[in-house]
Formats: sequence, structure tokens, C-alpha cells
Amino acid sequence: MNNPYLPYPVRIAEIRVETEDKNLRTFKFEFLNPEDEEKFAYLPGQFAELSVPGQGEIPIGIASSPSEKGFVLFTVNRVGQVSSYMHNMKAGDVMGIRGPLGHPYPLDKLKGRNIVIIAGGFAVTTLRSTITYLLQPKVRPDFGKITFIYGARSPGLLLYKDEWMAWEKRDDIDVFVTIDREVPNWGYKVGFVPAVTKEVCPPPENTSALICGPPVMIKFTQPVLEEAGYQHENIIMSLENRMKCGLGICGRCNVGPEYVCKDGPVFTLAQLNRLPKEY
Amino acid sequence: MSEYIVKENALVDFFKSLASGRRLLTPQGLGDKCKLEETPPDKVNLDFSNTHMSPKSLLFPQTEALMAFHNDASKPQAFVYQSLGDKGEPLAVFGIRPCDAKGLSIANKVFQNDRFTDNYWKGKIDQAVLVGLACDNPSPQCFCAAMGGSPFGEAGLDVLAFRQGKDLGLKPLTPKGEELVKASGAQTANLADAIKGLEAEAVKSQGVPPDYKGIDNADLMALFNDPHWLATAENCLNCGVCTFFCPTCHCFDIQDETSEKGGVRMRNWDTCMSWLFTVHGTGHNPRPSKTERVRQRFMHKLKYIPLKQDGVRGCTGCGRCVAMCPVNIDIRSVALKMTQTAASQA
Repeated sequence: MNNPYLPYPVRIAEIRVETEDKNLRTFKFEFLNPEDEEKFAYLPGQFAELSVPGQGEIPIGIASSPSEKGFVLFTVNRVGQVSSYMHNMKAGDVMGIRGPLGHPYPLDKLKGRNIVIIAGGFAVTTLRSTITYLLQPKVRPDFGKITFIYGARSPGLLLYKDEWMAWEKRDDIDVFVTIDREVPNWGYKVGFVPAVTKEVCPPPENTSALICGPPVMIKFTQPVLEEAGYQHENIIMSLENRMKCGLGICGRCNVGPEYVCKDGPVFTLAQLNRLPKEY
Repeated sequence: MSEYIVKENALVDFFKSLASGRRLLTPQGLGDKCKLEETPPDKVNLDFSNTHMSPKSLLFPQTEALMAFHNDASKPQAFVYQSLGDKGEPLAVFGIRPCDAKGLSIANKVFQNDRFTDNYWKGKIDQAVLVGLACDNPSPQCFCAAMGGSPFGEAGLDVLAFRQGKDLGLKPLTPKGEELVKASGAQTANLADAIKGLEAEAVKSQGVPPDYKGIDNADLMALFNDPHWLATAENCLNCGVCTFFCPTCHCFDIQDETSEKGGVRMRNWDTCMSWLFTVHGTGHNPRPSKTERVRQRFMHKLKYIPLKQDGVRGCTGCGRCVAMCPVNIDIRSVALKMTQTAASQA
């Protein structure tokens, strides 16, 4: 019988320090059994339990795109027991990943629409997956205009620098990167994400917004989108809660009757308006 | 399916048949010592109220080892978790009360939900045949009828047994139950009317059940935001005894235990009454005080589960939480408050 608790064994192929405070590292995993990669078929917005034998598991959004073959990427903030342990692991070490879990962003339903992607801090991970997926030559024509707004406190806290710089040079995506305060030789925007959103966000007609960021960013960006005329059905967010099983069974991540792990983590603002704010 | 009857003098043979090729578990012991135990076929006791604990640990042990790994890099599969198996075994459980069987059926829809199947649960429930014993004399602590159940309820059972004078009536409810009853040599009998009569008698003994239907139709956020939760939770100690005894409480924690040679991943019963249950790595807690946690438990039982399980409430009226609560919090009073909230919103 299939065991949804049993992680697929993976080897850490590479660890990249992402931020100047060294609190964020991106782990590139390769499956020990190549057939497991096929079983781990995922879409942007889903997450997995990263499983360190003897330490425990943490639910982390998948940062790679299904179009990237041979590996999966996760960017992990050092917070608790498992993530701190992972930050001391090395390339070549064996651990596990369990998933994919949750529902992806509803990209299949957004075909033909414009998409504005708004990210704050290290919540950008599943949106990196989304953009990489959308920019595939075969996929890109299915969607309208794509706008990417990404903010962090300082340049050294922005993730995936090489990638957003490359996206910026393309003409099929508009990229707006911002930091909270001016620093010397910074050639991009300055200001909080809500202010930049107000300035550059496309008109709401035929457009959906994907937002992922810290609560304070979401709190102040939501009114900006509302003022611009975005319907709550077209504002799509991803939630986080403490999790164990990831399967809708262990009972702790619920928001009202919905489990963030099994029924989310992706919800529209219209859905969240009808649910308790227990997240 | 028709009904069957086992005459008093054939009862031991009937239980022998249940025990053939399976372990037979029945309630043994009195009062708070009453629990499901392996029973010789001639020692089955029909005179008990109910087991002290709910039967959920049969399928969902309080602590269970899920998988293990070794850390010897010179051997294959170092640091790779291997399943320890679901440890199911052929079981015949006789004497489960209808409230508890209904509790298992509610948990079953969580462990085997619309997306995932918990193999550890499934491995056990698939090999178990559950024979319930109807309550012809419900205990004073019971209120199954108020929660939409019945002392003769059938949910979650393979066979419903009931006392018919000194004989035992049997109503098979699933193909698995039918097979078991046929193999036991029980004789067919038309007992549908007898069941109806006994059931009406037993329901009557619980008095007129309070009507909580208002909760089903009420707006979720109105119930959630009602100010009564502050007063409702005021006495609560967050001890979690309600969740420990509840036949439908299914929450668990997963923890790794290590030794010099490797480690084991365990799952243990957990409780939504605990602060740690929901706290984020950042320190943020979506349910930071006992008011939110108490509200979660009752909203889960009386609103969230019915929304997800076609109106079936997550409380089966077994009465254990009411009997065990050290500060006398009574789910019936809470349901009444929620009903009043619903009425004031309507």
C-alpha cells in the first residue's frame, strides 16, 4: 500500500547561500531513485515536507519549476530545529522529501489572462517556480501580460538575483524590484511593496494577482489592489500554518473547515473572507 | 439483508466463530476499568455500560512507530526511512457501542479523505470486523440522540447486535458483517419490528433531545465571532482530557526519536488545547489563548465536521468529555449557546 508518510530519499546536490545574513539557503536535491522524480510530479504553488532523519519535517514551498528536470529546489529560512540542522548539512548528505502536497496556483484557470505577481521577502519561492514555469516558450503564449513586483528590506536580502536580473532583460515580463530604503549604486526601485504596486500594477481587467509575502505586506497591498478595482476572486494568496502530516489528518493547520495543507495553501481572497483569520 | 438470532445456549459457539482466525476483543472489567480486551469465547460479558476509553486506539494507537532508519554509512540505505508496516491483524471486536462506532466512522473519513489514505489506519480497519451492541439501557451520561445518533445507531458497524430477551439478535450491515454472521451459524429471523420497538424504548429513556439544528444553518463566521466564547472558555484549564477521551478526536503529532544507531519516527495523540499545537516557527500563534482553542474544539465538532461530512456532527454524544472534564464544561451547554447565537442572527 502507498505510504503517504514515507519520504522519498534525496541527496543534497548543492547548497547556495541566498542572502547576506546567511539565514536563507537554497537546497538542490536529487532523487536517489530516479523513478521517484516521476512520482513527485508537481505544479507551481505546491509544497513538500522536507524530512531530516532523526530531526523531523518542515513544510516548505517548492521553489523549482516542473519544467526544470533532474532536481528540485527549496529555499529554507533558518528558524527552528529542522531548518537549523539543515543549514549545517553538506552537499552529498542524504535526507528525504515528501509530497507534493497542497494545491498549486490555479494557472490552468488563468490561461488568457494577465498575471501580476507580488512577492515580499523570502515568500518569493513558489512565485519563482511560477515565473519559471510561465516563461517556458511553450507556455508563455497561453497568458497575457506578466508583471512581477518583488521587494525586500535591502539588496542583500533579495533571493534569486541572477534570475530576476535575467527576467528583467526580457520583453515578455515586466519586473519591478524594490528595497525599503535607498542605498548607493542601487539601480532599481525604492519603497515598500504596496507603494510600488500602486505605481505599476496593471489595470484589473482580465488580470489576476498572485500575492505571497509577510502578513504586513499583504495587509497593506490588499487595499491597493482593491482601490485599483481588483475583485476578491482575482486576488490569489498562499497561506502558511504549523503542519505535521500535510495530508489533512493531524488536525492543526485548519482555518475554519479548510485544512491549509490539503485544501490550500492557495486560496482566493474571496474564499478567505468567509473563513476565520486563524493563520 | 435479513436479521439473525443466536439463542442463549448457542452464544458461546457464536463467539467461538467470531474468534476463529481472529483475535476477539470485547469489553471486560467494571466502571473505569472497563476496556476492550482479548476474550475467551465463554467469557464474553453483555452487562456493561461502555468502555472507559473510546475504541479509537484500536485503529489509531496513542503512540505508534511509523518508520525507522539506520545511520551506518557502510550499509545500504543509510539515513533512508523504511516503513515499519501498518501492523494490522484480523480482529473481531464485539460490544462497541453505536456512539463509538459512529465516532470511528467520522474519523475514518478523515484518515481516508478525498485526497489521501492513511495506510496505518486503513491496514487496521480493513482487517477488523466491528460488531456493535445496541444500548437497550443507555447510561445517564449519554446523549447520542441529541447529536443525531441513536442507541441502535448503525454507522461504522459491520453488524449491529442487540439483546432479544436472553438471546442475541444480529443485523448485518456490510458484506463483511453478513459473511461473519452466516459463518457463525446464526439462524435467520425477521426482527425488524423488534428492533424498532427496542430502539424507540431506548431513545425515550434519554428524554426529549434538545434541538441544535440552528447551528447547521447558521453562518460560520457569526458562530465564530459570537462573544460567548470568552465566557465559555473561562473555566477551561486546557488540560485536553476531552480530546483524550473523545471518540472522534484524531489529532496527532509526529516526532523523531533517535538512538546511537539511527532513529524512529513516531506519531502520538495530540490535542488542540495545547499552545504548541499551532505555534509557528516565528513565534506567531493563530490560536494564542485558551479562548481560541476552546472555540476551535467546539466549532470543529459542531460546525466544521458537519460542513465536511454531509451534516454529521463530530460529537456522537458518548458523554465522556462531560464526565471527565475537571471544570464541568458540557458540550450540550455550548451547543445550546451556539444555537442561541444562530437564532439571534436569523
